[in-house]
Amino acid sequence: MGALRFEGREVPVLGDDTVASALYRAGVRTFTRSLKYHRRRSLYCGTGECPNCLVTVDGVPGVRSCITPAREDMRVERAHGWPSTERDLLHVTDRLHRLMPVGFYYKTFIRPRFAWPVAERLIRRATGLGRLPEDGTRQTPTARHLRTTVLVVGAGTAGLAAAVEAARAGERVVVCDEAPIGSRLAPGRTLDRVRALEAEIRALAEVQVLDRHAALGLYEGSFVPLAAEDELVQVRAERVVVATGATESHPVFPGNDLPGIWLGRAAARMVARHGVPIGERIVVAASTAEGMEHLSALVAAGANVIAAVVPASLGTEVPDGVETIVDGKLTSAQGRKAIAAVFVETSGGTRRISCDALVLSLGLAPRDVLVRMAVDEPVEVVGDASLGDQEPHLHEDGTLCLCEDVSLHDLRQAWDEGYRSSEILKRYTTATMGPCQGAMCGRALACAARNLEDVPASPAGASPAGARTTARPPARPVPLETLAAAVHEVIEKRTSLHEVHVAAGARLGWSGAWMRPFGYGDWHAEYRAVRERVSLMDVGTLGKFLVAGRDAAALVDRMFPTRIRDLEPGRSRYLLALDEGGFVMDDGLLCALHDGAFYLTSTSGGAARMDARLREWADLLGLHVHVLDRTAELGAINVAGPLARKVLELLCEDPLDADAFPYPGHREVVVAGVPCRAIRTGFVGELAFELHHPRSRGPELWAALMREGRTFDILPHGLDALELLRLEKGHLYLGQDTMPDDTPVKLGLSWAVDAGKEWFVGKPALERVASLPPSRRLFGLEFDGGPDDIAELRGMPITVEGAVVGRVTSAERSITLDRAIGLGWIRTTGDGFPTELRAGTAAARVVPTPLYDPEGVRVRG
Amino acid sequence: MALEVPCPHCGPRPFTEFAFGGEERPVEAADAEAEFARVYLPQNAAGPRRERWFHALGCRTWFTVTRDTTTNRID
Repeated sequence: MGALRFEGREVPVLGDDTVASALYRAGVRTFTRSLKYHRRRSLYCGTGECPNCLVTVDGVPGVRSCITPAREDMRVERAHGWPSTERDLLHVTDRLHRLMPVGFYYKTFIRPRFAWPVAERLIRRATGLGRLPEDGTRQTPTARHLRTTVLVVGAGTAGLAAAVEAARAGERVVVCDEAPIGSRLAPGRTLDRVRALEAEIRALAEVQVLDRHAALGLYEGSFVPLAAEDELVQVRAERVVVATGATESHPVFPGNDLPGIWLGRAAARMVARHGVPIGERIVVAASTAEGMEHLSALVAAGANVIAAVVPASLGTEVPDGVETIVDGKLTSAQGRKAIAAVFVETSGGTRRISCDALVLSLGLAPRDVLVRMAVDEPVEVVGDASLGDQEPHLHEDGTLCLCEDVSLHDLRQAWDEGYRSSEILKRYTTATMGPCQGAMCGRALACAARNLEDVPASPAGASPAGARTTARPPARPVPLETLAAAVHEVIEKRTSLHEVHVAAGARLGWSGAWMRPFGYGDWHAEYRAVRERVSLMDVGTLGKFLVAGRDAAALVDRMFPTRIRDLEPGRSRYLLALDEGGFVMDDGLLCALHDGAFYLTSTSGGAARMDARLREWADLLGLHVHVLDRTAELGAINVAGPLARKVLELLCEDPLDADAFPYPGHREVVVAGVPCRAIRTGFVGELAFELHHPRSRGPELWAALMREGRTFDILPHGLDALELLRLEKGHLYLGQDTMPDDTPVKLGLSWAVDAGKEWFVGKPALERVASLPPSRRLFGLEFDGGPDDIAELRGMPITVEGAVVGRVTSAERSITLDRAIGLGWIRTTGDGFPTELRAGTAAARVVPTPLYDPEGVRVRG
Repeated sequence: MALEVPCPHCGPRPFTEFAFGGEERPVEAADAEAEFARVYLPQNAAGPRRERWFHALGCRTWFTVTRDTTTNRID
């Protein structure tokens, strides 16, 4: 015999106890406090629908104790009220109704302005439904997909019967239920029938049973996500059978939320299944066959039922020894901490019956939320879920929405304020918007609105003001982490040299989806290694593509503005990619190969887009082309610096001199035994060879280069050094220095566009804007004064006499030039582009680029 | 979440595997005005329309389907 821990004491757990039944047996009567008035709330629905039994279990708040099996050593706490749920001083709000009318938080604490933040904090604390655990203690659920012919939601008699029928017809069937099959039924005929069907269905190979899986919603294409404790199952079914049954309807009358008032199922289960008495003097009000079963079950279990309020048609079924009150109407319940009396209106006048428990079975409310989510999905509704709407019991006042503490009186007041339909009544009063999501009160809200509208029913019987509010997912409460299970984790891309960088003490950081070294300790030293000696950089992140096939040249020619026809094999050229608006989308290098194919690179972040565009235009233009994305398959190391050739010559027997391998060109070479495509590049402004190699051989190639470079004081360099290296050359970074609507002219890249071509992607757009003077251009800048760290100027507005005319996009202090330099875009001021500017505290002026090695002698070296 | 796109190679797959390519449209237009309309003025019809999809996380094929924008039904 085990026990669970409840607020510091041991509570015994017997048989198949739920958390709620164990606590109730141990004398707990107040499970929660209501949201607004802090009224005591006790067990009510017993089927996981209402908010009354929410407790914190093992640090997880909002657990429905009435459907959660009790386990040994569970740690259970109540979450509501201050200082405790049992003695809640905030209960004083129940006496202050008039100070807190419906929607009071829209109307009060508005002035003075500082009042609201203070009040909001207090209100939030007063209404809180518990605290979330600070550290995620639960394991992140997994997600999986499931395809089936038929999905049956609900494993009661109707659902199981439908599943058996479909399986017998040879269809693949998935049956789900949020609870273990039959676990919520009191002993009786229904449970026997469920057990028989369950045995039948477990024997059928076509049926997959997913119990403890709650259906969260019904989406287009008959897509139903099922949430379990440890997984999210995304089911796609050809048709869906909704067999979610019905809940007992929630009657509204003054005092209807007092502890001691039970729905029939909760009472019958507590008494007949868990053997816990619910009172000494019990009154039952029933109008359904099921309610009569509950009455019999209570009496059979020895409960003292003193009176039964039933319709005349059921009067004969009341067991002996129970006073029968025929056709009585519940008008109110009274009591302080719990129910003490109930008032029943009969033909002979109103009777007061003193009691300590009231059991209600006054109609069924179909759980039709999934059905109402269906637009044109093939959905079949069976069993109690298919029952039509029954008029709920509404009388004068009382708590309509248990979650949000909204009374009929509140609804009337909101109606008088002009909120005259169920949808806006809902939004204004927050009725139906709590944890139960209208499971208890959705129908009652619609009915209340209909009553308030008080117009004769329209011919169709429809009342727009009293329509049911839109059903939306989730149909059942679900932790956000379960929903997030379907979202894939952050993808971290690494080059094959990642471990090498880590071992070298690199400072790694995000660059798009890639992890890249920003520096290895001293980026000034890295910069000097590039400018004065030799340095390595891992550029394996670049997009790398092979374009081959009969029409490879045609595709490249028509897709890019770059001049292709005179690009001889072995030569390469700066590549600009435009979209159809003529805007610069990406840049890279294009290498012509000897077999009519092309090898091209894109920016690291643009690789996926480049792949998509190459394939898109090959398809749209009907060209015979193969596009091979080699980005992941190849690594690349840039060997840069005036001594780069000297290092490579120690490892490579192929000719690398400027005559045999001129800039801009590329060669297939073998370096340290690794086959590489070497591309001479100019991004950093020095002699540089980019070695594209098989990814797996990156570490050995890097190690060989570092080893042979040691005599030249070789250093690797990271993105920080690169930032200055390229800026001194006036090379722009796509994205950092550009905007989404930059044409080549605006970036000073007109030279990279072959205007003589008949057509290329974006050419019609460029022609269209060619007649307009460019409104904005990217310029090289030089700064005087300004902050000590000149990089702080990045993002700063550029002004002329106080008027903003542009923005600094890059700024660094040049080491070689000993000047603060940058890039930025500037708007035309009518008579051309201004050249004398300010950026924050710095004076700025436009300078021609590149500032470093303007003739490009070093690159060609 | 629920939309499925029929890839000609891989069969129906969740739309999260695809990149949307916009309405199907001609590659070129007769004159500047038509070109402008081609690039910038999609029909955005309520109802069935032809549109381009790219199976980015699959076979990387571009294809055209007819999707009803009011019901999401793809034929």
